[in-house]
Amino acid sequence: MESSKQKRCRSSVVETIEAPLPLVWSILRSFDKPQAYQRFVKSCTMRSGGGGGKGGEGKGSVRDVTLVSGFPADFSTERLEELDDESHVMVVSIIGGNHRLVNYKSKTKVVASPEDMAKKTVVVESYVVDVPEGTSEEDTIFFVDNIIRYNLTSLAKLTKKMMK
Amino acid sequence: MADICYEDETSACESRPLWSSRKWRIGVQRFRMSPSEMNPTASTTEEEDKSEGIYNKRNKQEEYDFMNCASSSPSQSSPEEESVSLEDSDVSISDGNSSVNDVAVIPSKKTVKETDLRPRYGVASVCGRRRDMEDAVALHPSFVRKQTEFSRTRWHYFGVYDGHGCSHVAARCKERLHELVQEEALSDKKEEWKKMMERSFTRMDKEVVRWGETVMSANCRCELQTPDCDAVGSTAVVSVITPEKIIVANCGDSRAVLCRNGKAVPLSTDHKPDRPDELDRIQEAGGRVIYWDGARVLGVLAMSRAIGDNYLKPYVTSEPEVTVTDRTEEDEFLILATDGLWDVVTNEAACTMVRMCLNRKSGRGRRRGETQTPGRRSEEEGKEEEEKVVGSRKNGKRGEITDKACTEASVLLTKLALAKHSSDNVSVVVIDLRRRRKRHVA
Repeated sequence: MESSKQKRCRSSVVETIEAPLPLVWSILRSFDKPQAYQRFVKSCTMRSGGGGGKGGEGKGSVRDVTLVSGFPADFSTERLEELDDESHVMVVSIIGGNHRLVNYKSKTKVVASPEDMAKKTVVVESYVVDVPEGTSEEDTIFFVDNIIRYNLTSLAKLTKKMMK
Repeated sequence: MADICYEDETSACESRPLWSSRKWRIGVQRFRMSPSEMNPTASTTEEEDKSEGIYNKRNKQEEYDFMNCASSSPSQSSPEEESVSLEDSDVSISDGNSSVNDVAVIPSKKTVKETDLRPRYGVASVCGRRRDMEDAVALHPSFVRKQTEFSRTRWHYFGVYDGHGCSHVAARCKERLHELVQEEALSDKKEEWKKMMERSFTRMDKEVVRWGETVMSANCRCELQTPDCDAVGSTAVVSVITPEKIIVANCGDSRAVLCRNGKAVPLSTDHKPDRPDELDRIQEAGGRVIYWDGARVLGVLAMSRAIGDNYLKPYVTSEPEVTVTDRTEEDEFLILATDGLWDVVTNEAACTMVRMCLNRKSGRGRRRGETQTPGRRSEEEGKEEEEKVVGSRKNGKRGEITDKACTEASVLLTKLALAKHSSDNVSVVVIDLRRRRKRHVA
């Protein structure tokens, strides 16, 4: 009931990447290496490996992310809620940090593009988050969409370079 | 000859107080003496002794300048910086020789204007409470030497760069921006400072973009693995000091503040995204400013102009705002510093603090101090000056004293910023602008 007092907002960002699905997914699913494609991540340290699965890849894993200077936050603590290699779905929650993103949960789904299933991949990242006090819902969505879009654009450039 | 001398005296009387005129005349005579003739005679009066001191002071400054070419200045901020300065100094040595030769062959009837050589300066740079040091400072005295038939002048370059996202853009600015300004200055006949600086900054911006696309610096310690580093950038506040003018070019939220007659005069304006004209420019370009821990372009960057940050163009531009200020006798010093200082210290407080440092160290040089000095003390000072004429080491020490005051002022400002809980890197440059006088030699 308390959470219902805080206004929530949700949005989705879609990006088509000119790379085969297995390559795209292999980068996205590496929970312990977000700096590979996330633009504002400086470094990442695994706090706990969670139960079962490979090191740093099991459900419940928690990572401490250090963000680059100049960004409106220094660190973020994030937990892997789900990782499904068959349906190519990853769910991540943010459980701490000084970025003003509270009760943030995102779901990233990767599918082969109907246009060209062998060479194109569609990434859909959907999220819900509390609207911070003093900020409008519109601005919150703009801000988070922007960060996700930058990350996916960076992912596209990375995969393009890897295929050369 | 007599007529020429008379004209000089008349001109001097018209433009200077009588006392100053006397100093000027004696200075001219001294300039034509060979070094072996520079020893003052026992019969000199106290007043003449002071005049000689003034000339000797300038001469010592000249020696110190050349000595500085041969060895690192203690005010350098890092070995790397020393290395860079040395390279530039090598070039300066050659230019210096050329200038000396030119002066030697100029007919005595022509008037030659010569200005003081490099100004005193000091620098302090601390990491502070941030994990990494991403600031950079560039100090290049005499980076441009201009020679004409009637004058030779030297221009001095000071730059402060506050990096964000990583350190390599600021490091690149430190290595290259003064070279670009130098190229523009030497190729520009009209001295159109605004255009020269705008071209230099644009070229610097393109260099870091191009450079970032190909290879990451080996000195770059960040763990970024992204294929491009277009989320890295830097502020740049640059000052070129000539005998007549102070030019400031600023891009970002570092700042240049002049202390004139005890008052703080900002020579740059911070580029914050919510500055009305910057906000308009960003919105007209299709961008947006969101308040997320302060006003930020697209909610991400807290400044509206920067070198680099390719991903935020065209909203974040590298075009500098340029100010050109005529120098006056009231100019005391110039402070260049990053927002790590200015976010927690006002312009006025910084000026007051630096002023105390510089006046404490060089009080004897002030006219008021001279007039108030007892006769005995004055004699002692005269002896000290005589002794300091003898060796270059002592001249060096004398130069160091003044540089030391600037350095101490810089250090004090950084300590003040940390005491006021600045949460950023802090870099400060203090440049002493006092006693800038031209001498006429005939």
